[in-house]
Amino acid sequence: MGEVAISVKNLRKEFVVNHSGIASIKTLLVWWKRRTLVHQVVLDSVSFEVHRGECLAVIGRNGAGKSTLLSLLARIFKPTSGEMEVKGRIAPLLELGAGFHDDLTGIENIYFNGIILGLTREEMKSRLEKIIEFSELGDSISAPVRTYSSGMLARLGFAIAIHVDADILIVDEVLAVGDRQFEAKCLAKVEEFRRSGGTILLVSHQLDTVRTFADRCMWLEHGHVRSIGTPDEVVREYIDENS
Amino acid sequence: MRSELRELWKYRDLLFVMVQREMRIRYKNSFLGVIWSFLNPLLQVVVMSFVFNTFVRLDVPNYTAYMLAAYLPYMFFQYCVLDSAQSILYQMPLLKKIYFPREILPLATVIANFIHLLLGFVILFGWLLFAYVRDPRVIPFQATTIYLPFLLLISLMLSTGVSFIVSALNTFYEDVKYIVQVLMYLMFYMCPVIYFAEQVANSPQNLERGFWLYRLYNLNPLAALSHGYRKILLAPVDVKIGGELAKAMPTPWNYIWLAFFTSLSVLIFGYWLFNRLKWKFVERP
Repeated sequence: MGEVAISVKNLRKEFVVNHSGIASIKTLLVWWKRRTLVHQVVLDSVSFEVHRGECLAVIGRNGAGKSTLLSLLARIFKPTSGEMEVKGRIAPLLELGAGFHDDLTGIENIYFNGIILGLTREEMKSRLEKIIEFSELGDSISAPVRTYSSGMLARLGFAIAIHVDADILIVDEVLAVGDRQFEAKCLAKVEEFRRSGGTILLVSHQLDTVRTFADRCMWLEHGHVRSIGTPDEVVREYIDENS
Repeated sequence: MRSELRELWKYRDLLFVMVQREMRIRYKNSFLGVIWSFLNPLLQVVVMSFVFNTFVRLDVPNYTAYMLAAYLPYMFFQYCVLDSAQSILYQMPLLKKIYFPREILPLATVIANFIHLLLGFVILFGWLLFAYVRDPRVIPFQATTIYLPFLLLISLMLSTGVSFIVSALNTFYEDVKYIVQVLMYLMFYMCPVIYFAEQVANSPQNLERGFWLYRLYNLNPLAALSHGYRKILLAPVDVKIGGELAKAMPTPWNYIWLAFFTSLSVLIFGYWLFNRLKWKFVERP
């Protein structure tokens, strides 16, 4: 086993949920009168480690806290308590193309996304060619992205994320981008990323992908780690429970 | 706060690209493009100065320039505050996916508007040259123009500070945006933009109360700044009040320094507040 890339100890995350769902001065004013705020525990006492070059799959039913866990690792939320250490740069592949702006061209969006993922403008300049080539977008790359199809957007998003040379890749149900041929190309690229020492966190409901792809598997249930082990074992356990 | 500043410095490229993006998007789909940045203030000021010259009759030569000098910085402040109120909410989908220092969003709005302010000043100097060609008695440039960067710095600090506060609060309470709109509307009349500070100083209300009205008026950094911009950029002008001529006042350095320290405090407080709240943005109820 290589060195530890991600280490999580006793992680806990609570959300404050407001049932009216509206943020306004009014809710602030009536807050003291009718406490409609509920603390919801999404993750509790979650501990695990991921080593460099390893692929950890996270499975579990909807609402088990998988996405929250990934968001915590990507530093979008702050944990309520517990410790969390991430070594190296993280590139989220969650819902590709979230950072695209409709009125800008493909090239402009490549720059913007690369830099938001932590690269400099110089580094992006040297990667531009490779990204355009990988996305197979051709001349459309200089058209505004509002003219793109959803498949084209997904291809561009994947091409950017895989080329920023992150240390840890977060893959959230998105390997099914574009057509079969492109999907195979993406999988090959992700495999290449892993062979060169990259760490992958994979969230998927496709248990077959988990079995073939992951080195280890973690099953989350109601915010707790139900079990963690080899993909075959954990997936079998999971299927037994849920069928 | 120091670690937050270091983090911001690490992401300076993102700030640069955000500003670029903001500038591009603004006029991306319009035919005249960036020319609107020039046309907008010019058209407004031409209309207003026509009204004031013809109907209100202030009898100030080259009134348009006096108006522009105060109007441009005022508009900069207003655009900063109103645009940045929405800056976090607009980018919520992005915030929920990727980490980056959240303060970059209001900062990019402020910097993009600052560039527009500088373009606006180009218009002002163009207008001064034009007035000089028409009437050589109007001196186009004052030596005190060298103080312009200092005033711009104060404006920038104040706008950034207020933008931090407004953008952070509006993310949780969207009423803030409307409150700010009303306040900005009132504030316009509390600054010497369409009138002169001399008129406030020489008003009977002020003289009767031993000058405290004028002092109170100048506690507002925006009022002191509007007055200051006029003084350093343009020739002193006497204003007629009730048939009598009020002598032009000197540059109000004491109030400008006060505005400097007020703005610095607002900036520090705003940054502190923003950093306190920024982790809650994505969790807003």
